[in-house]
Amino acid sequence: MILGDLLDSPVRDADGSALGYVVDVRLVLDGPVDGLLAAPRLHGVLVSPRTGTSFLGYERTGVDAPALLARWFAWRHRGTFLVHWEDVQAVTEDAVILRPGHRRYAAGLLRVGA
Amino acid sequence: MSYPPDEQPLGRAFDARLHLLDRQILDVDGVPVCTVDDIELHGVDGAEVVDGSRPVVVTSLLSGAVLATRIFGGRPPPSRWRRIRWAHVADVGTAVRLGVRGEQLDVTWPERWVRDHIIFRIPGGSHDPG
Repeated sequence: MILGDLLDSPVRDADGSALGYVVDVRLVLDGPVDGLLAAPRLHGVLVSPRTGTSFLGYERTGVDAPALLARWFAWRHRGTFLVHWEDVQAVTEDAVILRPGHRRYAAGLLRVGA
Repeated sequence: MSYPPDEQPLGRAFDARLHLLDRQILDVDGVPVCTVDDIELHGVDGAEVVDGSRPVVVTSLLSGAVLATRIFGGRPPPSRWRRIRWAHVADVGTAVRLGVRGEQLDVTWPERWVRDHIIFRIPGGSHDPG
């Protein structure tokens, strides 16, 4: 699977209702050790209910300056959430389908890796 | 609408588009190799996984001729990607640092070909100018 196949894909609930778009995926360096580092494990997908694009991750990193831009992007990406990879039922050519009863988490990245 | 905070995983967390895509890749000597144009994901057992039933890990960083597809849409065919195995990655920061020299990687073959077949034939091109 290529990451580009996931990004910007529409996200649907198990019953087919539209939930938004994949704006990013969260990786965690806790996979099996592969060479010099642990392999990044796909932790979850970030879903924005309004837009398939994200700009500089304003909605995830808590950056609040310049204030006008920060407020604009926070508003534009309101409702963005993280769904764990285990809650993804299928990735098709058309959409990412979530399992019934999937759990949603805040999209904020508390420990920025870079 | 507010959601509960995520359970913090033990490892370092980062977002692919935010912290990995389009980053410069530097080799062990700090020489630029290419940029991260995409990422290849596989199940931990190496199998193709398209649902959440099994853990998925990053196996390779991909680089290729993506200018046309970024302008006009679509994606390069899989055969056009050049892969750098994650096993070669030493650090992820403002740039992605490798633990090997760029010359050892398949991704730099066009540069090597131009050097060996074109630059080498130019008078004075076969040795270090220093």
